[in-house]
Amino acid sequence: MDIDEPTPTVYTLPIPRAPGPPPPAEPYALHRDAHTPLVLDNGSTTLRWGFASSAAPFTGLNAVAKYKERRTNKPLLLFGEAIDAESGAKSQTRTPWEGDVLLNFDALENALDYAFVYLGIDTPTVDHPVIMSERICTPLHSRALTSELMFELYNVPSLTYCVDGVMSFYANHLPPPTTPFTSDGLVLSFNTHSTSVIPILKGKGIMSHVQRIPWGAAQSSEYLLKLIQLKYPSFPTRVTSAQTNWMYRTFCSFTPSYPTLLKSLSNPATLRSHERILQFPFLLPQTDEKSPSELARLAEKRKEQGKKLQELAAKSRADKLLQKEADLEYLLDLRGESELTGKMSRKEWAARLSAEGFESEAALEDTIKKLDVYVKKARKKEAGEVDEPMEEPSFPLVDVPDEELDEEGLKEKKKQKLLKSGWEFRVRARKEKEREREEREREAKREEEERETDLAGWSSKMRKEQETLMGKIKDRARRKTALTDRKSAAAQARMKNIANLAADDRVPKKKRKGGGEDMFGADDADWQIYRKINITAPSDDEEDDLTSLHEIERKLLTYDPTFTPSHTHASLTSLSSALLTSFRPPYPDTDPAGHARIHLSTERFRVPETYFSPSMAGTDTAGLGEVIANVLARFPEHEKASLVKNVFLTGAPSQVGGLREKLEDTLRPILDPEMPMGIVQAADAGLDAWRGMAAYARTPEFGVHGVSRAEYEEWGGERVKRWWGGNRTGSS
Amino acid sequence: MATMKVLAMPPKGSTKKKPGPSDGAATPQGPSLAEQLSYLHYPRPFKNPYYNKNVNRRAKNLKAVLGQERERDRVKREALRNSKAERAAQGVDGMDVEEEEEEPNYSSIEAPPSVLPQRHYCDITGLEAPYTDPATGLRYHDKSVYALIQSLSPGIVKDYLSARGVNSIVK
Repeated sequence: MDIDEPTPTVYTLPIPRAPGPPPPAEPYALHRDAHTPLVLDNGSTTLRWGFASSAAPFTGLNAVAKYKERRTNKPLLLFGEAIDAESGAKSQTRTPWEGDVLLNFDALENALDYAFVYLGIDTPTVDHPVIMSERICTPLHSRALTSELMFELYNVPSLTYCVDGVMSFYANHLPPPTTPFTSDGLVLSFNTHSTSVIPILKGKGIMSHVQRIPWGAAQSSEYLLKLIQLKYPSFPTRVTSAQTNWMYRTFCSFTPSYPTLLKSLSNPATLRSHERILQFPFLLPQTDEKSPSELARLAEKRKEQGKKLQELAAKSRADKLLQKEADLEYLLDLRGESELTGKMSRKEWAARLSAEGFESEAALEDTIKKLDVYVKKARKKEAGEVDEPMEEPSFPLVDVPDEELDEEGLKEKKKQKLLKSGWEFRVRARKEKEREREEREREAKREEEERETDLAGWSSKMRKEQETLMGKIKDRARRKTALTDRKSAAAQARMKNIANLAADDRVPKKKRKGGGEDMFGADDADWQIYRKINITAPSDDEEDDLTSLHEIERKLLTYDPTFTPSHTHASLTSLSSALLTSFRPPYPDTDPAGHARIHLSTERFRVPETYFSPSMAGTDTAGLGEVIANVLARFPEHEKASLVKNVFLTGAPSQVGGLREKLEDTLRPILDPEMPMGIVQAADAGLDAWRGMAAYARTPEFGVHGVSRAEYEEWGGERVKRWWGGNRTGSS
Repeated sequence: MATMKVLAMPPKGSTKKKPGPSDGAATPQGPSLAEQLSYLHYPRPFKNPYYNKNVNRRAKNLKAVLGQERERDRVKREALRNSKAERAAQGVDGMDVEEEEEEPNYSSIEAPPSVLPQRHYCDITGLEAPYTDPATGLRYHDKSVYALIQSLSPGIVKDYLSARGVNSIVK
């Protein structure tokens, strides 16, 4: 756990063990007619059961799943950890406890069945006096149904109810064999869904002064899960509450003084030193890694394909050329025909032409010329000669005055005029481009010279420009946000402008009388007001600024050694503070392992702190410290002293680190300075309740406080006898 | 990110193998782990076969159970008060009146709301939060966290608030 190493340790989730067949219990023959007391610690998370003669109980998760296997269609009944063996069974899990209260008796019946089957009970009734735990101040409905189950279904001879916290206290303060139990103490019982404070005086639990906060291990792990989901909203895998439960148990701890710790954690370095890194399983992206020979083969294939394509193209070109040549020959023949045959009548010639698809002789000439040029060019290309420069096209008809031309000539002339203007425009454009290019080259050369002669000066000039541009962008962004806020100066100025435009008194009174009009728009600059009013229109200036900024930065990056990528505009704007990067370290997109990592820094202390102030997590109750103070306040001083001298922590969630110190820190201020205070943790926080019950079952006074069969039939399921270890509700 | 090779799929139905002639030497498939762990078919002689559990009885939920408790408590308290009033009216000795303490029940032992002043903690980082964002209601530690808050979408803001227990239904 030492995080002072240069590379912090990365923890991984525990690998869940596959559930195996349970270890064998001792043979039942030992207990068959011995009436050994049966001890059942019915906990919200785990069920612990065994005979009072055993040293340790059998434990199992208090959950039952009735599941029908899809493949073989066999119904299954699984208990506890065995539910993990079948993934479909998890959704069918039923627990007897719903939160804090025992409500599901079907599940309880199945769980008890498992316990008794496991112990090997084969008699027609469960012939052992049973001692069973219930929650403190349990609703009588739960007790009634449990009694009904035990007495009617299992026919136990007697049943004793007790409170687990008190029994755990008993186990740790066992009196010598024949003396009664008279210890004093304040029991803090940490359970799954709640935490209770139970004062015990002279061996009796003072149930009327008990208080309970509805915050326990389940709520803590749920809170931790919520915090993790908020911190990592796009986490690749799903985090389950079982995993956060493990995280809570492993990484979280109480701190004596939460505010001082927080002050120290606001320093990013300290924050990093307190973090724990947890690596979740992740998928590696599938890269098609090919060996070099494969790559070479692929390259070869590609080249061959390219060559084939080239050959195909060449062939098609050659074919086209042949075709065009043939056409040209045919057309030349056609033209020659008209010349040869002498004076074919106009009409016949026109008919001939239209048969071939030409409108007029000029069209024919045109086509012939085009084909000729194409063929010549193609031949030249094949021969490998360079293209000769294009000759300037001539427009002879443009200069000829209109009167000399006939209708066709006029048309021709118009066409030629258009072509000529187009041609001239293109020439001019080309010249412009040339000029611009030269200008730019000259600029670049000048800049280069400047750069080479005086690098520092050039770079400072560039940097100044960059800063002004960045300043402009920032101003624009600020103005934009100011406009969204209704009360800001910019927004009010905008409204004033709009109001002015729409005001009635834009035109002075006198002018209006004389039919004057609003002279808005006469001046071109008036229209600029629309740019200011319309905030949603995208402005071209932004993009221009951005592009020029990028240009400057590029130049600086390449030529100025002192200008690093961290000075660029992009990195400066996306800079998040050191605090946030240490709180949630970012990983590059190419790192799938990094993206599946959870860093727990402040959560490690925040979650346990909710025991002492549940309002942090939204539960509106007093915290543990306040509740203890409330409970103690109801006792006179001397009793308070004996309670505080022996504060006892029990229950599996009390094993989270730092609890003792935290309680000392919390209790010391509310007590008299001279009052001695002692906080003790249970020897075995999870199993001590069962052990206490078993120890009690072995004493001779066992059975006196229980409800026998006859008494059950007389009183019903809700009534019990009042005794030091039991509840007071429903007791007499 | 992942470049997947597209494999040519075998023709449908080709994966279904027809069972070949069984020669009896093949080992039968054993029970799965779940079947081994299931105890559905274990004998349970200790159960009373004549116990007919009221199958029509629906499992009560927590609200119903607690309501029932409250009702019962109220009735008892009223009866007690009536009997006390009766006895006072009859003029019986005050000595006989037993100090019947309020019997604790599940709802009564619950802790009251806190009266201590609550500290503000940053919703994002968990450190102390001297400031609150008026637009969203989130508490934050310093201006860099504020910059982060401004960039959050309303859904995430709602999640942060509900983690603190502030469920604003307005939005």
